[in-house]
Amino acid sequence: MQKKTIFWGVLAVVALAFPLVIRSPYYQHLVIISLMWVIIGSSWNLLAGYTGQVSFGHAIFFGVGAYTAGLFPIHLGLSAWWGMLTGGIVSMLVALFVGWVCFRLRGPYFALATLAGGEIVRLIATNWESLTEGMVGILIIQTFKSKLPYYYIVLVLAVACILVIERIMKSKWGYYFVSIREDQDAAESMGINTTLYKNISLLVSAFFTGMAGAFYMNYMAFIDPEVVFSLHFISIMAILVGIVGGVATIWGPAVGAFIMVGLQETFRSSFFGLAPKWISQAHALAFGLLVIFVIMYLPNGIVGDWATIKRLVFRTRRTAG
Amino acid sequence: MKKATVIFCIVFAITLGLSGAVMAKGSVKVGIVLPTTGSLAKFGEIERDAFLMAQEEINAAGGINGLKLELLIEDTTGRPEVGRSVVEKLITKDKVVMIGGGYSSSVTYATAGVCQQNNMPFLVNTGSADKITTSGWTWIYRLNPPVSKYASAVESLLTQVIKPKTVAILHENSLFGTKGAKKFDKTCKKLGFKVVLKEGYEHGGIDFKPVLTRVKQKNPDIVYMISYIMDASLLMKQAKELKLTPKMFIGGAAGFTMPEFKENAGVASNYVISATLWHQVLPFPGAMEFYKKFKARFNKSVDYHGAEAYAACYVIADVLKRAKSFKNTDIKAALDATDMMTVFGPVKFTTWGKMKNQNKAATYVVQWIDGKLELVWPKEHATKQFQYPIDWLKVWGY
Amino acid sequence: MDVFIQTIVSGILIGGIYSMIGIGMTLIMGVMGIINLAHGQLMMVAMYITFVMAHFFHVDPYLSLLVAMPALFLLGAFIQKTLLNPLIKVESILPENQVLMTVGIGMVLTEIARFIFSSDYKTVKTSYSSSAIFIGKISFNVPMCIAFGFALFFTALLFWFLLKTDLGRSIRATAQDSEAATLMGINSSRITVITFGIGSALVAAAGVLLMPIFYLFPDIGGAFTLKAFVITILGGLGSTVGAIVGGIVLGVAESLGATYIGMGYKEMVGFVIFVLVLIFLPGGLKRLTKI
Repeated sequence: MQKKTIFWGVLAVVALAFPLVIRSPYYQHLVIISLMWVIIGSSWNLLAGYTGQVSFGHAIFFGVGAYTAGLFPIHLGLSAWWGMLTGGIVSMLVALFVGWVCFRLRGPYFALATLAGGEIVRLIATNWESLTEGMVGILIIQTFKSKLPYYYIVLVLAVACILVIERIMKSKWGYYFVSIREDQDAAESMGINTTLYKNISLLVSAFFTGMAGAFYMNYMAFIDPEVVFSLHFISIMAILVGIVGGVATIWGPAVGAFIMVGLQETFRSSFFGLAPKWISQAHALAFGLLVIFVIMYLPNGIVGDWATIKRLVFRTRRTAG
Repeated sequence: MKKATVIFCIVFAITLGLSGAVMAKGSVKVGIVLPTTGSLAKFGEIERDAFLMAQEEINAAGGINGLKLELLIEDTTGRPEVGRSVVEKLITKDKVVMIGGGYSSSVTYATAGVCQQNNMPFLVNTGSADKITTSGWTWIYRLNPPVSKYASAVESLLTQVIKPKTVAILHENSLFGTKGAKKFDKTCKKLGFKVVLKEGYEHGGIDFKPVLTRVKQKNPDIVYMISYIMDASLLMKQAKELKLTPKMFIGGAAGFTMPEFKENAGVASNYVISATLWHQVLPFPGAMEFYKKFKARFNKSVDYHGAEAYAACYVIADVLKRAKSFKNTDIKAALDATDMMTVFGPVKFTTWGKMKNQNKAATYVVQWIDGKLELVWPKEHATKQFQYPIDWLKVWGY
Repeated sequence: MDVFIQTIVSGILIGGIYSMIGIGMTLIMGVMGIINLAHGQLMMVAMYITFVMAHFFHVDPYLSLLVAMPALFLLGAFIQKTLLNPLIKVESILPENQVLMTVGIGMVLTEIARFIFSSDYKTVKTSYSSSAIFIGKISFNVPMCIAFGFALFFTALLFWFLLKTDLGRSIRATAQDSEAATLMGINSSRITVITFGIGSALVAAAGVLLMPIFYLFPDIGGAFTLKAFVITILGGLGSTVGAIVGGIVLGVAESLGATYIGMGYKEMVGFVIFVLVLIFLPGGLKRLTKI
């Protein structure tokens, strides 16, 4: 218990002091993006990992949140920060519709339907120019030049997201979610309203993903349909963050987010300029190999299979020593 | 003990990363943002090669007042959000004195916002959305004309020679395509041509026949297309298959001037005309030499994209030579005072209309004649007579 | 009227190629119950094989079928044997692990292609690439007609294989009830390996047939994987006839959408059909035709 308190205390201090110590905006940027992915990954994990509804369309909620924020300045002349209040809610409304359509389906069919949903929303955003400006995109000027405010905002969001999910998973809802994942028919026969609880899981997930989208609009100050509704760079990335870190664990997606963002940037910048340039071409290859490796040998992710990793590492150490 | 190891590792990793930021002495750093991977890599690579060629020449000739010009070419992967973080990294971590490059409208538009906010001079050489220089941004300078001016040479050709009554416009759904089509639509209305069809499409389709069939039914005098290479070739190939024969097929730059267009469209590329921003025969000092040198070195011919990049590098060198110091305000002052001749033509950044810091560059019309891209308009620079009218069915071998 | 007929004709012809892509997918989904998210990427590999054959050895693309199909059969079988089958034994929380694995495989295939061939667009030029025959005012693209013919031929062949051979019957039995099939003495892991191989070979054929018409770059796969889903869901899992019909319906619907709604919405037509079928006709056309 003592040890645990110290650990969390140290972590909190590190998180709060990070941008004050590391002044380079470049590293601050990477951590901000990682924290944003913590939110998206954790939300995806609530729906997919805990409730067993593997979504291939989280870009829907991310993009809707981002566009909700982006439409304030272009149509109403208001600040995009209004999106931080409304983005999550609008995402939830969209999620209600998505749930109404997709929860008729199970397993792979659900996955496919969400995937198609993401593409449909992207095409609508591309073609409905009077509302979204189409492929022109929405560009605003950032409110703050310093990264500090963004860092603390996204930190608060990420912590809130994780705490809410942890709370939910310790409550009755969490128990229902897991029972739906384990055996939907059995859950149904035990009198659990599976549709209701799947929708609750989806709504919470969509809310936080939408908030992350609204944050993205404010922070990056530019969106277009291909950026925020991207199948590859949002929907699939959310899944990768989840499975690399560990599905159905509270901290898995958080770990996964830092690993994936770090890996992406490491490769894109050819190991910070230390490795030959062609390495930068290999970042997607490394992602692919990492996914194959993790699924084969650490099917529950780095956090989920931490015990296995520790055991393996210890054993090798002992034989080495 | 274990904890200590972990902490040591973290500290080590951070210092390792930070040490990359240490500046090399005796050189001046300029960041260049281009898509060298991803779907736009083809264009990005040409521009990168041109930049590197110019950099070598400049350094061989003494560099920037004795300092070496160091280009940090960063990959945007063709995605706006990556472009933004790349620029941020160049400014804060690499401490570049100015930024150049900028391919594709959306990435350039998004990155220009970052530069403006950080008071970082940015010389754009290809990104063509009007918004880049009409947003009132003071730190953004543009060498190439905005997309709304791309067709100005085509306009004069239309009004003086072809005199069409009806026009069909096809464009890809991108910032470049959508804006270019809107502008051309307006121009047609102004000139009294009737636009019978204006249609956007998703990049990468296999079958354009449904929309081309509709074009054929409307029987327009000209078909104006804004497309990248592969879509451009497929459009022409399928127009041939459908025997779609307007008076003229016109490309709005981008894909239609690339050698790959001719290779892929084959016989269907014959006599197609396109707007362009540059041609090696133009009477600008060094234009032909640049073309030959590039061809000899990279074994591929170069179109306006390469010329823009090459010229931009010389402008950057000239600006840095003239700047009192490498402070951003001094570089900006030097950019404002730019008045030089490049392979791309005269370069001078002025404010006109809604544009700010925009170079006024002329546009031209080229035509594929016997497998070669010939300059046909304006007449005084033409290398070959403009071929018109054309019996398309005969050209296509029906 | 000409516009309408031309639209339908273009749709049916492109539908033939879609069918080829769909058949491979439907077989894999039907037998193993997993979504193969690397399907389009397998097609991409076949297209690169065709490109290499044509570019370096001057082999006609259609002859490349003889190389690309066996090669992709082996690649598919290899993937199933070494990467997907072992996962059945791995304990994990998500049943979708195999699907996620195919995502990883797709990424690796794409990036390897990018490493070898760069992101450049590649084409195979043939004398007949853009030749067309005219019946009245309606244009028929020759390579597309050939592709359509091949699609019918391969479907017929597959149909015969599934109905008349022992191996085909074992595959169908596994698709219907894999546990019962195992009890009847069918080696189901061998069957899955063969099925994945056949599915890959079929999508390879689609890739080869597409090569004279279209172009090629490493990222080409994703869009076709999505099309394959739509077709599979539309036609019904494991139904070869459904895949053919589904492919043609998709081709025609896209064409009509492009002509009468707008070219920009063309891709959306497919997805809307997809969602509508999932909701109103779960099980796809198979439910109507029973085969």
